Parts: sequence; structure tokens; C-alpha cells
Amino acid sequence: MKQLSLSRTILRLTLGLFIAMPLALQAAPPTGYPADYQKLIDAGKQEGKVVIYATTDTKSAEPIVKDFEALYPGIKVEYNDLNSTELYNRFIGEAASGGGTGDVTWSSSMDLQMKLVLDGNAVIYKSPEAKNLPSWANWKDTAYGTTYEPISILYNKRLLKDDEIPKSHADLARVLANPKFKGKIVSYDPERSGVGFSYLTQDLKNNPNGFWDMAKVLGNAGVKVYTSTGAMMEKVSSGEALLGYNIIGSYAFLKAKKDPSIGYLYPSDYTVVMSRVMFISKHAKSPNAAKLWVDYILSVRGQQIISDKADLFAIRSDIKGETTMANLSKLLGTGAKPISIGQETIEFLEPRKRLDFLKKWQQALGTVK
Amino acid sequence: MKRMSLAKIAVILLTAIAVFLPIGLLCWQSFLDAPFFQAQKLYGLDAYRFIFDDPDFKRSFLNSLYISCGMGVIAVPMGGVLAFLMVRTDLPGRTWIEPLLLIPVFVSPMVLCFGYTVAVGPVGFVSIWAQKLLGSVPWYLYSMTSIVLIAGLSHVPHVYLYTSSALRSLSSDVEEAARVAGAGPLKVATTVSLPMVMPAMLYSGVLVFFLGFQIFGLALVLGDPEGHLVLATYLYKLTNKLGVPSYHLMAAVAMCIVAITVPMVLSQRFLLRNAHKYITLKGKGSRQRTLPLGPWRWVAAGLVFLWLAVTVIIPLVGVIFRAFVTNWGEGVTFLEAFTLDNFKQVFEQPNLLRGVVNTILLGVIGGGLSVICFTFIGLSSHRKNNGWTRLLDYTVMTPRAIPGLLAGLAFLWVFLFFPPLVPFRKTLVSLWLAYSVVWLAYGMRLISTSLLQVGPELEECARVTGATPGQVNRHITIPLIRFGLLASWLMIFMIFEREYSTGVYLLGPGTEVIGSLMVSLWGAGAIEIISALSFINILLVSVGMGIALRYGVKLHD
Repeated sequence: MKQLSLSRTILRLTLGLFIAMPLALQAAPPTGYPADYQKLIDAGKQEGKVVIYATTDTKSAEPIVKDFEALYPGIKVEYNDLNSTELYNRFIGEAASGGGTGDVTWSSSMDLQMKLVLDGNAVIYKSPEAKNLPSWANWKDTAYGTTYEPISILYNKRLLKDDEIPKSHADLARVLANPKFKGKIVSYDPERSGVGFSYLTQDLKNNPNGFWDMAKVLGNAGVKVYTSTGAMMEKVSSGEALLGYNIIGSYAFLKAKKDPSIGYLYPSDYTVVMSRVMFISKHAKSPNAAKLWVDYILSVRGQQIISDKADLFAIRSDIKGETTMANLSKLLGTGAKPISIGQETIEFLEPRKRLDFLKKWQQALGTVK
Repeated sequence: MKRMSLAKIAVILLTAIAVFLPIGLLCWQSFLDAPFFQAQKLYGLDAYRFIFDDPDFKRSFLNSLYISCGMGVIAVPMGGVLAFLMVRTDLPGRTWIEPLLLIPVFVSPMVLCFGYTVAVGPVGFVSIWAQKLLGSVPWYLYSMTSIVLIAGLSHVPHVYLYTSSALRSLSSDVEEAARVAGAGPLKVATTVSLPMVMPAMLYSGVLVFFLGFQIFGLALVLGDPEGHLVLATYLYKLTNKLGVPSYHLMAAVAMCIVAITVPMVLSQRFLLRNAHKYITLKGKGSRQRTLPLGPWRWVAAGLVFLWLAVTVIIPLVGVIFRAFVTNWGEGVTFLEAFTLDNFKQVFEQPNLLRGVVNTILLGVIGGGLSVICFTFIGLSSHRKNNGWTRLLDYTVMTPRAIPGLLAGLAFLWVFLFFPPLVPFRKTLVSLWLAYSVVWLAYGMRLISTSLLQVGPELEECARVTGATPGQVNRHITIPLIRFGLLASWLMIFMIFEREYSTGVYLLGPGTEVIGSLMVSLWGAGAIEIISALSFINILLVSVGMGIALRYGVKLHD
């Protein structure tokens, strides 16, 4: 009760402050936004905070959060850094309890995000920035792809010569024939890691003819499968492993910046591209601030920070720099294969289909007959 | 026998609610085919059918059994002997060994394993030395044998703590009698001292066996490369195997683990039916004297040191080393990779900093509160043997049967759907309650082991002179067990510092603790930050423990 009255007082104070504040001091809506955008800003400021559930770690997100708070003073960002399964569990639990969830969820686990969206947990919001996104990254004005992160091959620079580094998926067979690599390749375990699973199904989609042969090559070379990206990068860095297959490019980029042993590359035949999916929760307590957040993330200002400071990859084509879609398109041309956002994203959440794929995968690897 | 007072019944009922509400949710969930809070769900046994058909379940069950048995075989005798050596003999260097002994208890096994990877993994620095010295590395860290060995060795302190706490309150005149009759130190240990602390050893043995079924972090890190599954990592695997978390399957596995533990509680009660045989702290106490080991001194010291090196020094050096470098491996020297950036990052990130502060708060204040609660619970069944105390016994043992990760999830549900607790979800209270319940068995064993050693005649004496039950507790029982209570606080503090899986689902701004932050960071790749955090954790606990030990030493004088 006490808390309620306190929040009311704060609300009144904030309201009073707004009325008293000269118009000129308020953040003006960016150009190209609807004329009544100021109303959204005011409503967002009245809500006072926005709760984000995300898988992007706090450190990467910090510059984004700070810049957003600078842009909209009065809106506090409550940033929750969770792993994708925890995020999903928490979201559905909280949604069912009726106690409210995070206002915005933002996860690299695209299939779980789309499952939440398709189960009716998201609201439709046509962001004024939506027109600046590639069309595949906007699912019915409800779920937005916000980044453009290539799935890469990680390698140990210290211990590998240039011709020992596979340049493409097709090249893996040649390189892995070298007994040096026996037991020294790491990758996600599709059985235990949801993202690992989805990257493999993307491989199958992009390389239907060669995929199962590649799986056999990996199996013959004794690939070790993990759940933790950190553990995999650590093994490659120390030399316990030499190659990491299907590692998220933004993590590899960040690690390589600090760790002189780590190198990474984007396979030249095709590179799967992952995008962090964001939507506004139907159960949001601050729906207006949530809209401001989504618009900000998709805006030039937000994307520039995503690329330059958060070390994720910007999805807007008008952002320049190393970690941007523009740069990747130049490097990879049509080889960049974004994971589509929609009904097909959750294709493999159907248990039988999923278990089927896993069984075939294990058979190809030779771990199960 | 007098009837139970209402207050005692209330304590027992509250405990039962705190334990059985989350477990009840899990049990109910295991008989559904969808999350319990969804409108569309059907009752049935499909969850059980699925896991019993799954070869992975069988495999992980057998592995867990193997680890549990191995741990019992390794940890119980070693812990007992270690306690005897430390408490009763003139082992050299006892004072500085003691704090080291407790390290495996309060360092999260995940971190310990990470330390092992850095030190004795295929390219670890110890392995590279061994390679140079011997031509090959005679061990393989990721094998099942290594897992069992590490699990066993790192649980020696659990047995040690229970046994030594019992030994300390045991007067040494019987041992001296044995010495006078010509028994050597080993004979005294095996025929006199250790049999006298049988209740403590049995309790700790059963607990170690339980913990064997709980092993999660260790199997997650060391079992990962070869795909060795145990029940808790099987649970983890189930989360993803079907794409969306399958609560009903996870709950069914948890129920299977509970089904294993119930007979163990029964056997424990049976073993302790004649507990009064062991009462040793009587009105007429006498000073304890240390037993001279003679030439055995150095042999014993050597063995203890070897154990310390393998269980504590090697992994710790590994973790600490990792906290101060950017990268490592063959061909990387410490100096060129040295950095303090990992720590800078911890202090620059508000959530990590909050995690450090919250961990301290939860350990010191939360741990103290827990001990107070545990003492109330212990006293409510002290010297009673009726339906209520039997209910309490089962209540206390049950939560330990549930893997921390799942218990955390169950508590998230409780804090979401149980109206009186809803306002506390985003505060440390939620973590405190979850931790207290998960570690209830642990704390209660410490307290009841102490309680068992108070001779009933002391209490009866007070009763005869007209004291109320409350006065007996205040003036006789509690003062007599105060060392036990302090040791329990220390123990609970360390356990709370170390806990890593229970808080994962309750993690949010304001409820960060080092343990759950580590699990959270583990996925994203910040292993240097995990190492820095664990270094801070070790440092904090060492300081806390140093103070406690000093204080403890003074109390003993």
C-alpha cells in the first residue's frame, strides 16, 4: 500500500514537472517520425521505466542502455541479462501469473522468441523505423530482427598455419583430414543447446546436399560438443581445441579483440546470419516506453551504438563500419544467409521433427548407430 | 511424554509448507503434459513413460549412482580420518591446514572444475610439465574416473566438518584409556574415536550420497567434452532436447530422484534408532588432550598435503591464474598475458558489483537468519518422538533430493503464484528462502548432531527444578550447543556463498549473487570474468573465515 502511494506521489511530481517544464527542453521527435510522436514520448516518460529481458550480456548492453537513458531522461531502463531458456521460462511463468512480464524481450534464441510471438504474447507495433529494415527482419510489425550477426568459424591463430584453416564449409573435409585435428574441434551440442540446434538446421537448409557429409567429416574428426560458448572459445584459445564450428560472430569478434590467440572467419560458400529478435510484450506494464525502446534500437543512433560500442552487428544498411550488415554484404555478397523470421523459424520445435533431426545428426556423427 | 506445544507444531507446519509447496508443484507438474499454469493440460503418465524410454535417462542414472557410490567410498573414510587427525592428534601444521580444508566446500564446483581444466586439462600447465617430465600425461581429466575421483575428494570436507564437530564435543578420556592399554593412533581412531562419532559420520555419508545425485557443475564442465551425463545434466539436456523447456519431463526426473531418497531417509532413521548410545557430552566433562602420533606424524602430514594439493591447490592456482590473464595455453607465457582488466570489468559493471554485495549479505545475514530458523526447527523436535517429529524428519530431508536448478525454478513458481510471497520475488528474501530450504537438510544435520550430544539428564535436571521448556532451551540446551551453532553459521555462510544453481531462475536486478551470475555468464563466454568473480568470492570467504576461525579459537580457550 505504502509503495503504491509512493509511486503515485512520484507520478504526480513527474506530471507537475512536465507541466512546469518549458516545451523547448523536451526531446523533440526525430525527423520522419509521426507528428504525434511527442505524445508517445510523454507517455513513456510518465511510465518512468522500461523492463528489458535480454540475452545480450550486460556489458555489451550497457552503452545502449546509457544512451537510451540519455535520450529519454526520466525513463529508467531495468535491464535483465538472462540466458535464453531462463528468459523463456520466466516470461511464460510471469505471463501466466498475471503479474506482468518484461516490457520488451530481446533474445538471440530466435525460435523461442518466435514461439512466444506466435503463442500470442506480443503486441503489434509499427515502428516508424520499420521501413529501414530488410523486409525479412520485420514479422508483421510484431517481431523485429535487430542485429545481423554472422555465424563464424573460430580458430587458434597461434597453433594453425594459414592452409590449416578451413575457409568454407566445403573446405572442412580437406582440412579435417589432417590427424592434427582429431578431437580438436568444438561446436554446440544440438541436443543441449537451442541455438546450436538452430544453426545446424540452417546449415541443412543452405547446404542440403553437402550437410550430412559435413556432419560425417565432423564426426570422423571427433568433434566435441558443448553447451557454453565461453567454454568453447576458451578451449580454442588455450589450444585444447583448434577449431570452433558455428560460433556466433559477435562473440568471436569481441573475444578476438582481447585475445591474441583467437582468429575467426566467415565461411565463404555461405554464412548463416543470426538476428536478435525483439518484441513488445502483451503483458507490458510500460507499453509506451517499450515502443520508444524498440524505435531507439532500430534507429540510426541505436544501431550505431550496437555496431560501435556493443560489438553486435548493425542490421541497417545505412550504418557503416566493420560490424555492420553493409560491411558483411560487401564481404559475403549473396553468401550471407539470414535466418528468416516467421512461422518457419519454429519449424523444428515440433518434437518429432526435432528428435528426427537429432537422431540423424547422431547417426552421421557416428555417436549412435 | 508431554504433548507438543502449539508453538512447536506451528514451527513444524511452517517448515512443511516451505518444503512441500515447491515440491508439491513439481510433483503435480510431473503428472501433466504441459506447464501447470497453462489452461490446456492433460493428466497422465506420459512424462514418466518418455524418460523411462529414453536411453539417456538410464545412462545418466547409472552414472549418478556410480558417482554417488564412489564419493561415499572415497569421502567418508577420508573425511573421518582427517577429522581424527585434525581434532585429536598432534599433526604438524593443523592450524593453517584447517582453513584450506574447507575450500572445496565454498568454492562452486563449476569454478573448481574450471581450475582443473586450466591446470590439469589436456593443455593445462601441470599436464605440460607432466608431458615434459614423463613423456605423456598419465591422466585424462574428462574421463568418468576423474569425475568420480574429483567428486569424492572434493566432498571429503563435508564429512570432515560433521565428524570433527562431533569429535570436538567428545571427551578424550576413553581414547586415553585405549592409549594406556597400548593401542596405536590408528587403532584408537578406528576402534574408539570414529565409532563414537558414528551418528555424524552416517549422516554425512548419507548426505554425500545425496550430493552425488546432485552433482551438476562438475559434470557440466568435465562431462561436457565426452558427453558423460548425470541426472542433473540430463535435466539440463531435457530443457533443450525438445526445443521448448519441458517442465513435465524435468519434474518427472526430479520425482525419480525423490523416490531414491525416501528409502535413504528410512534407513537413516533405522541406523540412528539407538542414538542415545552415543551421548558423550555429559554434565561431567573433561579436557581434551591431543594424541601423540609419533613417527606417524610425517606420514599423516604427507597424505593430508597430497590430498590438499590435488583437491585445493591445483584447481585454485588454476582459477587464480585464469583471473589474471587474457588467454592461456601452450606457448603463452604468464607475463605477456597478464592483465587486471578482468577485475576492472567486475567493478565497472553495476550488476556484477551488486552481485558481490548481495552474496556477502546473503551469506552473513541470511546465513545467520537461517541458523536461527534451523535452531527453532531443531528444538521443536528435540527429545520428542511422535508423528510430528517424524513428519519433520522427512520434511527436512526432502528438499536436498531436488537438484538446485529445479528447486530454483519451483521457487520461482512459488513466488509467482503464492500470493503472500508475490511482493518478495524481486528481493533477496526470495533467494534467502530458496537457499534456506534447499540447504535445510544440511543445516539441520549440523544442529541435530549437536543436539544429540546434549545429555538428557542436564535438561531433566532443569525441568525438575521447575524450569519451563522455553527456559530449558534458553539456559541449558542452546548454551551447550553454541559451538555447534557457530560452526553451523560458518558452514551455512560458506554454502550460501558457493551455491550457484538455485538462484538462476530468481536472478534479476537486485537479486544478483555471484553464483547465479557465473551460470549466466557461462553461456555468453565471459570466462575471465567468471574467474575474476570466483577469485573475489574466494577472497571474501577467506577473510570471513579467518575472522570466524580466530573467534572460534578464542572461544575454545
